Amino acid sequence: MILKAKRWLHEFGILGMNRRNAEYIMRFNPRSSFPMVDDKFMTKRLAEAYQIPTPPLYHVIEYHGDIAGLEKVLKGCQDFVIKPARGAGGSGILLIKDRQASGFVKPSGELISWTDLTYHIFDILSGIYSLEGLEDRALIETFIHPDPVFAAVTYYGVPDIRIVIYRGVPVMGMIRLPTSASDGKANLHRGAIGVGVDMRDGMTSTAVHRSMVITHHPDTGHPLDNIQVPYWKEMLHMAARTFDMTGLGYLGVDMVIDRERGPLLLELNARPGLQIQVANQKGLLKHLELIDKAPSAIFDSPEARVAWALETFSTRTLN
Amino acid sequence: MKRPALLLAVALLLFSFAIISYRIIWLKYPIFPAAPEKVWQLTMDAHVKGGEKETKVMIGVPYTHRGQIIAEERIRSGTLGFNLLREGPNQVGVWSGAISPSSEVIGYRATIKVQPPRPFKSKPPALELYPANIGEAEQILAKRLVGKWDPLPPADRLRRVAAAVKGIWGTPPPDVQDLQAWSAFHDKHGRVTAFLVLLRAAHLPARVVEGLELVESVATPTFVWIEVWTGQEWESIQPEKGEIYQKPVPLLPLTTDGLPAVRVLNGELSEIRWTLSREIITQWRMHFERIMRSDRFLDRWSLFRLPDDFQRTFRILLLVPMGALMICLLRNMVGFPTFGIFMPVLMALAFRNTGLLYGLGIFAGVVLIGYGVRRWINKLRLLLVPRLSVILTLVIIFFTVFALIGSKFGLRELMAVGLLPFVILTMTIERFFVITEEAGAREALWTAAGSAAVATITHEIIHLEPLQLTFFVYPELLFAVAAVQVLMGRYTGYRLSEFIRFRKLRGTS
Repeated sequence: MILKAKRWLHEFGILGMNRRNAEYIMRFNPRSSFPMVDDKFMTKRLAEAYQIPTPPLYHVIEYHGDIAGLEKVLKGCQDFVIKPARGAGGSGILLIKDRQASGFVKPSGELISWTDLTYHIFDILSGIYSLEGLEDRALIETFIHPDPVFAAVTYYGVPDIRIVIYRGVPVMGMIRLPTSASDGKANLHRGAIGVGVDMRDGMTSTAVHRSMVITHHPDTGHPLDNIQVPYWKEMLHMAARTFDMTGLGYLGVDMVIDRERGPLLLELNARPGLQIQVANQKGLLKHLELIDKAPSAIFDSPEARVAWALETFSTRTLN
Repeated sequence: MKRPALLLAVALLLFSFAIISYRIIWLKYPIFPAAPEKVWQLTMDAHVKGGEKETKVMIGVPYTHRGQIIAEERIRSGTLGFNLLREGPNQVGVWSGAISPSSEVIGYRATIKVQPPRPFKSKPPALELYPANIGEAEQILAKRLVGKWDPLPPADRLRRVAAAVKGIWGTPPPDVQDLQAWSAFHDKHGRVTAFLVLLRAAHLPARVVEGLELVESVATPTFVWIEVWTGQEWESIQPEKGEIYQKPVPLLPLTTDGLPAVRVLNGELSEIRWTLSREIITQWRMHFERIMRSDRFLDRWSLFRLPDDFQRTFRILLLVPMGALMICLLRNMVGFPTFGIFMPVLMALAFRNTGLLYGLGIFAGVVLIGYGVRRWINKLRLLLVPRLSVILTLVIIFFTVFALIGSKFGLRELMAVGLLPFVILTMTIERFFVITEEAGAREALWTAAGSAAVATITHEIIHLEPLQLTFFVYPELLFAVAAVQVLMGRYTGYRLSEFIRFRKLRGTS
């Protein structure tokens, strides 16, 4: 029975955890490059150099003393986001959608005081949310107003787009939709929904929620398939360029679509999860193997890589 | 990519097996050190009364040869000196010295493994002369009596002689006069000499052996039997009944070639008692003493040379890599979720003192209460390091309370709580909280169950006594374990848990 299941997984081209770690992450992601993606501030700096747009940064707080200047910086900002530079899995991100005389309003409507806000920043600096508990920096960024295209299938919070790239070639993509269970966060293990996206036309297809295949959003009840993702090709190009930017061969690229600014690079992940396969109802392995067999000419430029991927990977044509 | 790892693994395996083979083949280590073995425990106690001059007690003792291995010899000599001497084919223990007015107790004790001797080629022993006090006429008489059997093979000749000693001469019966003469000779010299003379006349090499019967007993007397060479091997014969013992012979020789088992000069043995009992020991113990005395490099560097209490530590320690191997297997091939990588190994080690049930119970209790407190502490917004310190303090407080409760009810298992790895418990509480927050209580409980399962499996492995002993005798097995770990590191196949994780894709294929 086990052998049968094993053969089936292989035929379906499912990428397992062990193979992902040994054959892709350890082989194509040099450890020395990890700080580039583990630190969002560094990612942002690099992205600027490669003309990849990111959410505009208001302020960086590195030391406890820096907090003194915060009030001045935030003076003109009605809404903003505070996040730890080295936070993992969406932890430590504080969204402020509005400010009132008595304090700051979170997207859930909860009101927090100035003291609470500075406490949160101290927490970030002391490394509570950072990987391995290292001391951290707090980034204060623009509040993202998500493109209305996903409004019907978003409970609250900001949906994001994950594209996995292998050697600079887009392999697979999905939309991550926050739910009430995920508390507005777009992380699948927190209960967000993953929706597969067809590579060629950027149309959503199948969806997964807590490892169950679903067709409708559990909170809003709207169907999840056949939503046209805006800026799809542009995002593929952005994702492809992150390879030239980091040199990491196996990467998860997370992006958001702002109503006014369009697609923005949010963060990069050197150990992208495997759940994207369930969202797309499709294994990664066959795509990865196809890329390894692709003519070397396609690796010359991001444009060539995207063009090749659009030509080769399409959920509809392959199935 | 895969080759260097494979080569390394093969090299490690070969290295490990080379040392093991060397130990087994050249140093004669047991293949299964932990396998049980039936042995005999021989003890001799005697009271010696002294004479005027120096007293000397000479007692034949068994020694290691083809048919038996002697281990764990213990000598009791009181104020006397002790020496082991070779005397012909015998080994003789010599107790000597001036004995105090009362008496001295001497003793000997040994563990003996009797092995069925493998057939081997050996030179036939020389046919010895007739006993010194036998005249020529008697020699001729004996030759006349057995001469008609000369054409028979040695084994048959022996049977005829054995029957003849009992008075059964077969057909045709010998001359009546010869029989009468023989009867007189028999009465004069006794059964044993008569037997020897007839065997000599029949050209059968023979020797007199004194020893014990291998039966479990509180007190066995030594007795004399005759061994006869039949061309291939020695046959043992009970001289009184003329019976040939069936193989394996249930006898333990102490002295051969007619040497008395016990001799005393200038003194007197007031009492001597031989005891034999059956015992079951591990094979390792048979070899233990030989290795302790050996000068070979690997024997000198054996872990058995460590002091006893350190040995106990190493017995466990040597199995920890096995535990780690289990974790590799359970995590990378099965897909068990655990808190931290080696946390279950440390838990398993700690369960040694508390026992598995108490250990798991305390573990679950501390993590659950700790989780509750951690939830509450969360509101205080403590920074990372002080917050972990608070939880650590809390864990120590729990330990103290458990120990006090244990002492109240006399539960040693609860008092041993202090040996649980408190740092690991602290980190587990923190991890449990973070997983609950980020992925839900179900995931956290699942991870806790996975950790407990892995800790239990590891605990069972590192407490397998035969495995402990095997690794202790052959510590080079660690290289073999490392080889498997290297191979595991190159396992890029699916985890069992992934069959479940991706099962939802199945319906769409």
